[in-house]
Amino acid sequence: MDKKVLRVLLILIVCVVLVVSAVSVFILHSEHLTGVLYGAVGVGLFMLLAKILTMIQKEGKQDD
Amino acid sequence: MIEYTIPPFLIFFFGAALIPALGKGRVRNIFLVALAVLGIVSVVILKPQTGWKLPILPGVELILLQVDRLSLIMGYIFALAGGGAIVYALSTVKEAGQYVCALLYMGSALGAVFAGDFFTLYIFWEIMAFSSLGLIWYEGSRRARDAGMRYILFHLFGGAALLAGIIVHYVNTNAIVLGPVGPGVGYFLLLLGIGVNAAFIPLHTWLPDSYPKATIAGTIFLSIFTTKTGIYVLARTFSGVEAVAYIGGVMCLYGVIFAILQNDVRKLLSYHIVSQLGYMVAGVGMAAGLEIEMGINGAIAHLFNNLLFKTTLFMCMGAVIYATGKNNLTELGGLAKKMPVTMITCVIAALSISGVVGFNGYVSKGMVIHTAQVEGLTLLTIALTLGSVGTLISFLKLTYFAFFSKNEEIEAKEAPLPMLVPMCATAFLCVAIGVYPKLLYALLPYQEAALHYHAYEAGHTFGVIELLLMTVFLFFMLGFFAPHDKITYDVDYLYRKAGRRFIWFCEKPLVSFALAVERAVLRIAGYFVRFGTLEEAESQAVEEPVVSVSIGTAVLLVLLFFALYLIVMLTHGWLMSP
Repeated sequence: MDKKVLRVLLILIVCVVLVVSAVSVFILHSEHLTGVLYGAVGVGLFMLLAKILTMIQKEGKQDD
Repeated sequence: MIEYTIPPFLIFFFGAALIPALGKGRVRNIFLVALAVLGIVSVVILKPQTGWKLPILPGVELILLQVDRLSLIMGYIFALAGGGAIVYALSTVKEAGQYVCALLYMGSALGAVFAGDFFTLYIFWEIMAFSSLGLIWYEGSRRARDAGMRYILFHLFGGAALLAGIIVHYVNTNAIVLGPVGPGVGYFLLLLGIGVNAAFIPLHTWLPDSYPKATIAGTIFLSIFTTKTGIYVLARTFSGVEAVAYIGGVMCLYGVIFAILQNDVRKLLSYHIVSQLGYMVAGVGMAAGLEIEMGINGAIAHLFNNLLFKTTLFMCMGAVIYATGKNNLTELGGLAKKMPVTMITCVIAALSISGVVGFNGYVSKGMVIHTAQVEGLTLLTIALTLGSVGTLISFLKLTYFAFFSKNEEIEAKEAPLPMLVPMCATAFLCVAIGVYPKLLYALLPYQEAALHYHAYEAGHTFGVIELLLMTVFLFFMLGFFAPHDKITYDVDYLYRKAGRRFIWFCEKPLVSFALAVERAVLRIAGYFVRFGTLEEAESQAVEEPVVSVSIGTAVLLVLLFFALYLIVMLTHGWLMSP
């Protein structure tokens, strides 16, 4: 299978899982699948923070 | 049966004194292994509620050894991890001086956790700071020397705050016994002093600055003692302070985000010390009311487990640096087949620190997060849970890019046996405690409360599995967290800028001002001489030899005067509150 198609499929699967989890947690008030949401939110948060911090990065060695 | 209650620090101090006489050969190695074993035995045979007291002044005695369940578990893990570090060092350390520093450091850390009063604690606290400095400076490079200077400046500041807090506390309460502190100036000074060692944000910068620059074995010793002693003293003095719990939450997230951005493997691990300390600090802060037992148990259980998996990780990365001479993830890779034992132990430790089900980190991290949930601290629960996600991301990055990514140019062979043995032992304990948590529960300060905690409750276990699977999936799918050569500024950038400005201020405007004042004073004195009647005295004064005192001597004289003044005040009881 083409790599691009595979990537799109993976993104679709993640989206479906996230929607199901969100419905389970926020609408059905079930505690199942909270771990999925935490995982997705966590990765998103750390990507965002890493992106912000790269703005104050520079080439070279620390401390000197 | 004879009961021996020798303070364990004496064994290591005695060992440190003997090391220079043993040469560099097999005799020294046998002696070091025997010392590591003796250290463990000396702690294991200690019984709760035993102690050693040393009277120094009428009514004042130093408690050199006070054993209870809290100090005992600290003693166990310090002796165990320190013993492993000694064996690990046999392959890499040649200089007797480095062993002397390591043994003094280990002994003083054991002295600090078995200290029964603040003054004894302070003495060991300072010995720890100076002996650990040697482990950084023995690396020999200019970077290590500069980092060592910054390290000791931070610790001198922390030590001064601790001492000032102890004195204020003593003046207010007339008590030096190690225990909770009442509100006031002493409270904040003590929190500041302990906060430096426990790496509170923004007092943490000495840690990721100095640990990666120490010797390979030195980093292992450093990762074991200083910060954990800080957590222990925090548990003794500030348990149940909610602000402290939130400081822990901040540490957890702050450490992990900076860890994710690192390229240097030991710097990544150093930031992870800050993050994992966050869980312990949060546990200590939450230990109030009905949850006092659960909070302290969670903090100390995570401390115990952290020492197992973090020591293993530092040992593994030390072995990688030893074998390849490289310490950046961008230069590593392809080591899984070349260093299989190191790879397996590293993966076990990475799974443990990430809180994967079946490993020890899962048990203790769960205890801390469970306490936050029970106390209804929603923000803290979220912060600590997200901290787990970040931890998994950074250890996926570390293990994947160090061992599994492609690198055909790299040359390495498996680490020597003395390095592998302690790595395997600590990795084994990570799995053993994960599979059978009661091994750990039996050692915790509140054993009964620990036995009521069910680590493998179905809902919690499935929640953690979901979180971990989602994180792993997104990590590989997004491919966002690959290492790069860039460096990230931490708050120490501001400290260094401010430090340089301060030195400039001292050298330029302050010196100019002092010279101007001196000239003005001389001019005024000249007017007095000119208009005065003692012309003879003027000429005589010029001829007299001038007695000059150096600045250092002057400062010493002033300090001696103050010390004398304090002693007189103390002996007359004028420092005591009415």
